[in-house]
Amino acid sequence: MAILNAATKEIQLKIVYYGPALCGKTTNLVQVHKRVQTAPGNKGRLVSLATNSDRTLFFDFLPIEAKTIKGFKTKFQLYTVPGQVIYNATRQLVLRGVDGVVFVADSQYSKMAENVESFQNLEENLRTVKLNLADIPYVLQYNKRDLEGAAPVEYLEFLLNSREVQVPSFPATAHDCGGVFETLNAISRALLSKFINQHAPQVTA
Amino acid sequence: MTTTLPPLIEADIHEMDGALGEFLKQTDATTALIIDKGGFMITHQGDARRFDLTTIAALASGAYMANETIANLVHESKFNSVYQQGEKASMFVNCIDEHCLLVIIFASKLSVGAIKYFAAPAAEKIAEQLKSAQERDPGSGFDLSALNVADTESLFRKRA
Repeated sequence: MAILNAATKEIQLKIVYYGPALCGKTTNLVQVHKRVQTAPGNKGRLVSLATNSDRTLFFDFLPIEAKTIKGFKTKFQLYTVPGQVIYNATRQLVLRGVDGVVFVADSQYSKMAENVESFQNLEENLRTVKLNLADIPYVLQYNKRDLEGAAPVEYLEFLLNSREVQVPSFPATAHDCGGVFETLNAISRALLSKFINQHAPQVTA
Repeated sequence: MTTTLPPLIEADIHEMDGALGEFLKQTDATTALIIDKGGFMITHQGDARRFDLTTIAALASGAYMANETIANLVHESKFNSVYQQGEKASMFVNCIDEHCLLVIIFASKLSVGAIKYFAAPAAEKIAEQLKSAQERDPGSGFDLSALNVADTESLFRKRA
C-alpha cells in the first residue's frame, strides 16, 4: 500500500520478490545492496531473517531511495518471501501492503513445476490480502540463465507469461548481477507510473 | 472498510506528531512511531538518532502481523498490542486502526502499565486524524502529473 506524504514530499512503495525456493530472490537484494549507486544515506541496511543454513525464514528487507523526481523523494522497500512451501503463512504476511511484485523464476527445466506452483501460490496469496495480480504491476525475471539445464526463454514465457496481458520479462544471472537492475528499474517505473496516474486530476466531460 | 491509507497532508502529520509528542511527555518514553501494517514509517517523534527507524518499522509490522496470525490460530480476532521486554529497552506496539500501528520504544525501567495507559488515547487521537484524512476528497491537492516517469532515466544505477 503506497504511502504519499505531502508534508515531507515522499512517496513510499513496497516491492516483493516472489518465487520458488532457491530461485535467487535473496541474491537479487544482495546484489542491489552491493552495487547500487546512491547518495550517502539513501540506502538502508539489508536485513535478513534467515535460518542457520541461510535460507529465508521470514523475509529479507532492503530500504532504498531512488533519485528525487521534481522535488518528490521516491522510497522503495524491497522484500523477499521465503520460497519453501511450508512457509506459506509468512508469505501472506509479507504480501500485506504490496504495491508491485517481481516474480523470480528458476530457468532450470527441473524447476518448471515449482515455478508454476509458486506463481499460482502468488495469485492465491494475493487474494488472501484482497489483491488481484491483474491489478498490481509485476514483472518476471528468468534467473540462472547461465546454467546448462536452462530452458529456453520462450518456454518460460509460455508457462508464466501467456496471460491476456503480457508483462515485461528479463533474463538474469543474479549471482553476477546480470539482469538485476533491469528488473528493478522496470518494476519501479511501472509502480511509479501507476501511482502518478492514480493521483492525476480526473478529467470529466 | 477502506483498502488503502489515504494521502497525508501537512496538517495530518502535524496533528499526529502532536499526539506522539504529548504521549512522550506523559510517559518519558524514548521514541514513538506511527507505521503502517505493510512496514512503512509514517512519522515519528523523540530520539531518532540512536535507532534505525526504517528497519524497526519493517520488523515491528512483521512481528505484529505474525502475532495477529497467531491470534487467529487461538480463535482470537486479533491481539490488540504486542509487548517486547528487554533489559535496557523495551517496545510496545499498539493497533491504531485497520492500517496503522503505534510503536513505542522506552527504557525498561519505565512502567509498562503507564505506557499502555497513555498509548490508548494517543492511538485513538491518531485514528481520528487518519479517519478525517480518509474522508477528505481523495483528489484534493495531490496532482502528481508533473512527475513524469517517462522523462527520467533509470531510477537505479549499478556502480561500475
